[in-house]
Amino acid sequence: MSFLQPALLWGLLAVALPIIIHLLNRRRHRTVKWAAMDFLLKATRESRGKKKLKYILILTARALAIAALIFAIARPLLGGFLGFGASVDTVVLILDRSASMERSEADGQPSKRELILQQVADAMSELDGARLLLLDSATQEITDVPSPDVLPELSNTSPTDTAADFPSLLAKAFDYLQEAQPGRTEIWLATDLQLANWRTDDSRWSAFASTLNSLPTPTSLRILALPESPRDNRSIRLLSSRRTDSELILKFEINREDSTSVASIPVTLNLDGAPTTESVTIEGQSRILTQTRPLSDSTSTGWGRLSLPPDPNLRDNHLYFTYGPQKPQLTTIVHDGSLSQVALKALTRAAAPPGFDSLQLSLTELSGSNPEISALDLSQTTFLIWAAPLPSDTAAVLVRSYLESGGQVLFLPTTQAQGHSFASLSWNPLEVAPEGKFFIPSKNWRNDEGPFRDGQDGIPLPVDKLRAIKRLPLIPTSDAIPLASWDDGSPLLVRKILGQGTIHLLTTLPDYKWSDLEQTALHLVLIQRLLEDGSQRLNTSQQYAGQPPLAAATLIDSALPSSSYPYQAGVYHLPEQTPNQVALNLPKDEFTITQLDPNEIKKSLLPDAPVTFFEQKAQNNSSLLQEIWRPFLLAMLLFLLIEAALTLNKKPAKKVAA
Amino acid sequence: MHDFIDHNLLARLSALPLESRQAMVGSVAGRHRSPHRGSSVEFAEYRKYVPGDDTRRLDWKAFARSDRFYIKEFEADTNLRAYFVLDSSGSMNFASGENDTKVQYARRIAASLSYLLVKQGDAAGLSVCNDKLHLEIPPSRSASQLQNIFDSLDKLEPKGETGLVQALHTVAEKIKQRALVVILSDLFCDPEELGEALQHLRYRKHDVVICHLLDRQELDFAFDRPHRFVDMEDNSTVVAEPTLISEEYHSALQEYLVAVEDKTNDAQADYRRIVTDEDYETILSDFLTNRLR
Repeated sequence: MSFLQPALLWGLLAVALPIIIHLLNRRRHRTVKWAAMDFLLKATRESRGKKKLKYILILTARALAIAALIFAIARPLLGGFLGFGASVDTVVLILDRSASMERSEADGQPSKRELILQQVADAMSELDGARLLLLDSATQEITDVPSPDVLPELSNTSPTDTAADFPSLLAKAFDYLQEAQPGRTEIWLATDLQLANWRTDDSRWSAFASTLNSLPTPTSLRILALPESPRDNRSIRLLSSRRTDSELILKFEINREDSTSVASIPVTLNLDGAPTTESVTIEGQSRILTQTRPLSDSTSTGWGRLSLPPDPNLRDNHLYFTYGPQKPQLTTIVHDGSLSQVALKALTRAAAPPGFDSLQLSLTELSGSNPEISALDLSQTTFLIWAAPLPSDTAAVLVRSYLESGGQVLFLPTTQAQGHSFASLSWNPLEVAPEGKFFIPSKNWRNDEGPFRDGQDGIPLPVDKLRAIKRLPLIPTSDAIPLASWDDGSPLLVRKILGQGTIHLLTTLPDYKWSDLEQTALHLVLIQRLLEDGSQRLNTSQQYAGQPPLAAATLIDSALPSSSYPYQAGVYHLPEQTPNQVALNLPKDEFTITQLDPNEIKKSLLPDAPVTFFEQKAQNNSSLLQEIWRPFLLAMLLFLLIEAALTLNKKPAKKVAA
Repeated sequence: MHDFIDHNLLARLSALPLESRQAMVGSVAGRHRSPHRGSSVEFAEYRKYVPGDDTRRLDWKAFARSDRFYIKEFEADTNLRAYFVLDSSGSMNFASGENDTKVQYARRIAASLSYLLVKQGDAAGLSVCNDKLHLEIPPSRSASQLQNIFDSLDKLEPKGETGLVQALHTVAEKIKQRALVVILSDLFCDPEELGEALQHLRYRKHDVVICHLLDRQELDFAFDRPHRFVDMEDNSTVVAEPTLISEEYHSALQEYLVAVEDKTNDAQADYRRIVTDEDYETILSDFLTNRLR
């Protein structure tokens, strides 16, 4: 316990006052000659026991009342986070250095990370002699902190634009504790409870509780949470940057937390150091925008950034990009030979239209009972269209690997589809519309995002105009998100995320024997949009902060000070790499604002484990050390009441009648 | 003149005689009943004649009626011999506030009653004791006896420890005839031993009056701060906080007073507890009036 006014603790000497007064009173007695001495001696003998105890209690109550008053006016601070009597040999501080921790509660106020560092430093001063180890989410390295006071100045506690991976961090801490056995240990996990950082679907969570309980030295986990408070934060995220011959096409998303009003947000584009600002109107919570900028020649290289004005979190206000000579985009179409030529041509035209040299196509036919799967090379593939039975065995491994590295796959129907499944997706038997009737899409499709989203000018795609006579329905599964459905509820287009990549599954074909997809040109939009998403996989000039570094790098551009590769976003120069410029941006997860329910930690993530949850109300700018003068005042009142009860609760002495 | 004699008070009280509660054996005729049957004027009873009886006391009228010899007996009136036993131990010198000390109070009572007794033709004597009986003035009816008693009372100096019990035993042994024994003391002694001494007096057929003198402060024990109490008899000291021990003090005092009362009742003594702040005229008149019944 510490005090805001420790000098006042000298007042504790006043505790001796009641005793001194008592002793002085005893010395200040009067002398009287007395005759009835026998009764006096008898009374003195009898009163020695309980009366003396009572008087000691009265004196104690008085002394304690004074002590409580002195403590109260010295304004004691309690490590509310630690509680009373905390005794720890080692503290392992797992520090969330993710970008979301840089949010501040008010202009000019410290960020959550700074707040927590200061609070941890204060709390550590309560634990005399405890060793502090820092495990930060960016480097994932354990470092010994010589003194809690230097904590905020360490490079390993500086802000980053990375995401945090708590399962990995906890695993790392447990491994260290298993090996080092540093005595009684507390793991302090400082976080803003951003759900994405907890990676609740990580398989390691199930073992953590038992690991924590079975560590060789007693270890408990304290979660110091700084939950989000309502403040309108805006963020900008790069969806893709694409170079055509003479244009740079930037696709980005602006998100905001306050969706109640229409906002006009100035967006500044800084292209190769030349800034231009445009206002963007945003109505709902987010808006996807595309900006096209002419480039001087087809081989030029450069960089740029898009910025939003300052808000509660500065780190998600900038996105960075680089551009270089246009690269070919390869679409691989895998089919089983049953795909009609009409459909194949439609797909080919959509993926690699004539006249667009950068859009290339590779056709692979997997037919027969033992197709040559091993010949399939997806390393350079930007976009994979799979018009064959869903991949199994070797093909499944290949496609899964492609997806996990960020690939885009579109599965299309085939007449020989039954009996296979991939990533819990599988086809139902073919359905044909009754004579003279069609399958008609529902009018409610996802027009805000996904491949069937509205165009840049806000005009919706003609999804509802589509008519089909054949479809290959999907066996219902909760894993896939329907983006568009037929009017009977059966899905038309679904999406499933796998690793870094995305699977889309369309239940009809661009063939007039199946649907009028080709006439509506929906397949063209679908393929081009997915091709654009897939192009990011091979774009090594775009990285997320926190990804393993490619090489030594020097900073070219960053909107924020003290940027370092690979933890802070910006444009960096990599002398020995091709391309030699890389743009680092915030990981996608850092843009999600969903919070983890604290109860989930004890309920499902770490059940039956020694976990203490300490939710810090960040908005009152309080610290882990809370002022607790009130209980001391109450204690003083209590002691005074006890003193009064002991003093006053005396039976009136029976006077002897004359 | 002695300051403990209030002549006006004595004049007022002289209308009230001091009566003994039991028959007295005196040397001269007086106003008190005697255990001896004799020739007084007050008829007592008849009894059968036995050889040797004085034939002059035969009731001839009874013989004429019954043909039997009866002796007519009368109660003999005699004078009263009173012994004042005054405790002059150190504790009797205690007084709180403006009150008289206990010995001053005792002095007044002894002097007043002696005066009244001698005035009504009875004999008064005085015994003074502290650790032992150190003054004895045998009872006498003479006028000079009063002066003798008053002088002795005047010279009293309370000191030493209480030897009342032993003094009472001595008095009981010494007084041969029935007498009125008036004890003036604070009775700060063992009630058991006191009881035995009183029984001794009762065995000797003395009429015992006990004036138990106490100071108001001794009863109330009302002190507001710690005090160092010095024993008036042996000068030993006790430092105590009266507020803390008041309850126990009163309890011990009450226990003692009950025991003393029990013992005096057992000995059929006339027990009177007197607090020294009370008006002693009231005390005396009540005492005398009660003795008349």
